[in-house]
Amino acid sequence: MQTALRYAAVSVGYDRTPVLTDVDLDLRPGQRLALVGPNGAGKSTLIKSVLGLAPILAGQASVLGADPAAARGRAGYVPQTDTLDADFPVSVRQVVMMGRYRRIGWWRPARAADRRAVAEALERVGLADRAGHRFGTLSGGQRQRVLLARAIAAEPRLLLLDEPFNGVDAVSQEAIVAVLRQLSAEGAALVLSTHDLGVARDLADLVCLINGRQWAVGPPAGTLTADKLRMTYGGHAVDLPDGRMMLVEP
Amino acid sequence: MSWWDDALHRATAEVVLAGALAGLVGVQVVLRRLSFFTMALTHATFPGVVLASIIGVNILLGGVVAGGIVALGVAALTRRRGQDASAATGVLLSAGFALGAALVATQSGFSRDLSSFLVGSILTVGPPDLVTTAVALIVVAGVLAVGARPLMSIGFDRTGAQAAGMRVGAWDIVLLLTIQIAVVTMVPAVGTILAVSLIVAPAAAARLWSDRLPIVAGLSVGFAVGSGLAGLWASSRWDVAAGASISLTATAVLAVSWLLARVRTAPGRLAVDGAGAHP
Repeated sequence: MQTALRYAAVSVGYDRTPVLTDVDLDLRPGQRLALVGPNGAGKSTLIKSVLGLAPILAGQASVLGADPAAARGRAGYVPQTDTLDADFPVSVRQVVMMGRYRRIGWWRPARAADRRAVAEALERVGLADRAGHRFGTLSGGQRQRVLLARAIAAEPRLLLLDEPFNGVDAVSQEAIVAVLRQLSAEGAALVLSTHDLGVARDLADLVCLINGRQWAVGPPAGTLTADKLRMTYGGHAVDLPDGRMMLVEP
Repeated sequence: MSWWDDALHRATAEVVLAGALAGLVGVQVVLRRLSFFTMALTHATFPGVVLASIIGVNILLGGVVAGGIVALGVAALTRRRGQDASAATGVLLSAGFALGAALVATQSGFSRDLSSFLVGSILTVGPPDLVTTAVALIVVAGVLAVGARPLMSIGFDRTGAQAAGMRVGAWDIVLLLTIQIAVVTMVPAVGTILAVSLIVAPAAAARLWSDRLPIVAGLSVGFAVGSGLAGLWASSRWDVAAGASISLTATAVLAVSWLLARVRTAPGRLAVDGAGAHP
């Protein structure tokens, strides 16, 4: 397969109201794409559209060579941990095993290969010793790593991460970045939304600037420029006297 | 005379079956935070049961249809963006109860049956009720066992389950109908209004004792059956309404569990939180 994700002049939104328009993306296996834009820019909606959970209102979209709705379940997804119920009585191991359910089915018992995949995924995110803990007792960064392990256990060729570094401690952030680099070296295509321009610059092969529409896409050096960021963030981009720029979230 | 000819024996068998049913369904209700929805379901079941009784069809059928309409209505409302599910649920709750009361008022000499629909009349339970409850228990336990993985995935991470290709909407409807079957089946034992206490209180109490789902489910069934038996015993001992004493016992189990959990976890929970503080 040549392309993991291809969007041509795509609009996405709900109830026929576009949230985000003019999206053109071409992501190949092994590439890492960062979605950058302010709150409410449409980053989460774009990710949901790739997952087949938000409708494509216009344009051509192809996810792993298929229509997004038809490809539902084949792309991996790592949600923000604070959207989940921390009181839910589920162990770390059970959460990661959820990544295998698509292979195992509803009611067949997990096989040795499934248990091995779960153990390996937890090993990769450095939480093998926490397998028996309840998910909700872990720190925010650890929970994010468990959700990443769940996605890894599903062995996806395309992985989408919604703000994976939000509220995450430095140790967890380093662990997540290292795993993401490994995954793309193994051929997985990655899409992550982030507020952190430093992470986008260091980690991404491609940066897509969005705010209601796509303002720019390309390698970090050509997209994370003062002009383009000012265009994307509008009044929320403030020039500092020393020539640098600060982005203010509304 | 067989063992089943004694009304108290039949009542005992009914509380065991209904308790097991309530305990199993209750775990899903508590984990998915559907207690208020279940409350509305019980109130919506009431007019269905009354109407079925007036027109002379099976009251279980009337309850399932009425509750099913509400279950699907709430599911439809909550799937629309921007709709406040609790407002819709609250309105349906009081409207259902009002409809039932209005239906009752159209019939003269109906008031005695009214209270049995509302709070149950377990000593009048007959063999057909027992068979219905047993069948409902088997069906509900089967659905919850087969659906354990999807229901757990959806309860924990709804969007993630959708992204993984699970049919979340279909499972929502399965779960709501499962709750409705439990509520309607429990009408003869504890009535429409009190059913919610036997569903929610034992499961909420069980959740306080364990973080492991199989243990929570086992405790929930144990607490519900125990509350049923203890309530039934108290009812025959002191001649109080069985439905009320069963509900009060279940509530007492929750109250005691809550107090003990507070005492028990004061130092314990700190240790767990401490373990989680490392990055």
